[in-house]
Amino acid sequence: MSDFGGLQIDVGGVVLDSPVIIASGVWPMDPSMWPEASLKGIGAICSKGTTLEPREGNRGKRICETHCGLLNSIGLQNGGSVSFVQNDLPALASSGKPVIANIAFETLEELRQIIERLNSERDLIGALEMNVSCPNVSMGGMSWGVDMDSLERAVTEARCKWRGPLWVKLSPQAPSIAVAARICEASGAQAIVVGNTWLGMAIDNDREEPFFERIFAGLSGPAIFPLSLRLIWEAVASVNIPVVGCGGICGPDEALSMFLAGASAVAVGTGLFLDSSLPVSICFKLSRHMENRAIANIKDLVGRGRHFRGETGVAG
Amino acid sequence: MMNQLLTGPHKPPIDLKGSLVFSEAVASGCRYVRIKTDLTIPASSPGQFFLLRESRVSDPLLGRPFASINASRNSVDFLFRVVGRGTEILASLPPGTRVDLRGPCGNGFPVPRSRRLILVAGTLGIAPFFDAALRYGSTQEIITILGVPGHEWREFAGWCKERIPDIRIVSDDGKIGNSGTAVEEAVSMFRSEDEVWACGPIPMLKNIGILHSAGCERLFVSIEKRMACGMGGCLGCSLQTCSGTVRACVEGPVLEWKEVLWNE
Repeated sequence: MSDFGGLQIDVGGVVLDSPVIIASGVWPMDPSMWPEASLKGIGAICSKGTTLEPREGNRGKRICETHCGLLNSIGLQNGGSVSFVQNDLPALASSGKPVIANIAFETLEELRQIIERLNSERDLIGALEMNVSCPNVSMGGMSWGVDMDSLERAVTEARCKWRGPLWVKLSPQAPSIAVAARICEASGAQAIVVGNTWLGMAIDNDREEPFFERIFAGLSGPAIFPLSLRLIWEAVASVNIPVVGCGGICGPDEALSMFLAGASAVAVGTGLFLDSSLPVSICFKLSRHMENRAIANIKDLVGRGRHFRGETGVAG
Repeated sequence: MMNQLLTGPHKPPIDLKGSLVFSEAVASGCRYVRIKTDLTIPASSPGQFFLLRESRVSDPLLGRPFASINASRNSVDFLFRVVGRGTEILASLPPGTRVDLRGPCGNGFPVPRSRRLILVAGTLGIAPFFDAALRYGSTQEIITILGVPGHEWREFAGWCKERIPDIRIVSDDGKIGNSGTAVEEAVSMFRSEDEVWACGPIPMLKNIGILHSAGCERLFVSIEKRMACGMGGCLGCSLQTCSGTVRACVEGPVLEWKEVLWNE
């Protein structure tokens, strides 16, 4: 039962009570660390990026604040797919919210093996989210999302093996988000998430060297919001499957803009570092906006910002 | 046996809103501030910390982690040094400014078990020990040691002495108190049954391991790391220990000295 009337929506085969998703990599996997009452307004929880085997993550400094933003170089630190299935997945599922299982892989064989493990717990997983966009690893991650042939092979393979709803989290670094989105749709994805962090870097001026060991890192936070919004706009125009808007949403107004641009749901990440009640604030904002315009269902809000100067709205 | 600090249970921090009540310069680029919160602050232990940021501001984006030097139901005090743009902006905020607080975060120092407790601080590392000295002063014999680089820290040292009258102050150049480092001072008075807590720069914390070699069974350090979420989600503050990778904001910042892999 949704806390907010009219905000329930089906996103790529997953029914969300609220269209606000916790993005991958920002939320503790142990429910004991979730702030009390903070699940209100959350429609689904994305797991931290899971790889086949455990990963230590990147060495050295991992965080660098920038003007209105945050560079991170975490490097997919996670306990691996066996630990995920045994520990994290049941813990996340205990929230009662759909779990979006975010997976990262270096090879198609790894992708097949992870999916095989997750298929055994299919009932606990709302959707599989293929991470083809992590900028902080040398193999896999973003490299799948910037090469369109690789992207097509990976999504096709996942669609063939995975028994549930399939989402793909695309990279802002893709040469064309429209082309990447169309490839995902044609290869069997039921939703796309646009996008992930933007590739950036910082230099330590005192040491006269790059701040991060891996030199480049992923930029998030309000600084990237206008860039993300443009990507949503382009992606929505190119596919008929739902688009989840992700990137720089740190307040309810930005989330609303994402819906008006055509996003069917939004994912929040860095914004939660500032305010863990952001999801519920977004829901209040959406409800109020809809009420003021006599919009009964969130579906009718999606893409309303595209009805201007003869534009016809969401693709299709 | 796995260190209980690492295994928990851990409590999540909460998000609070409040106002800056006062903000005073303490010399040496340090600032003493008080925040009055709208809602009740959960009880905390010395060494736990809060993320402090100006409300509704995106630049700087993240809260800065500060150990509370004193906390009550609706107010919390911090002592911090201006070390960059973020702390410079926080130091310049006028009273009345609305702020966001997330906390209390992480694990503080455990309740002391030894009769005598030695608190070893390097400059701003003194912050959590005001609370500790107050809290355990009636049940423990407490020796507080503050190490500073030199005479330019005189006012700061005086400020600390006003609050902890029997504090022992040492300086590298010998211009304030005895000549030497806080670690040397701690070593000079250490007895094997003592419990020792330390907070300060990483090299100092690493050096205090000499007390571990000298037989200190309960040697705890508070480790400072860059962090973002403060609730164990982002893994930006991971550090290596004998028990594996831990989060400074959840399993830390206070860890047993022997747990930390100091050369990582």
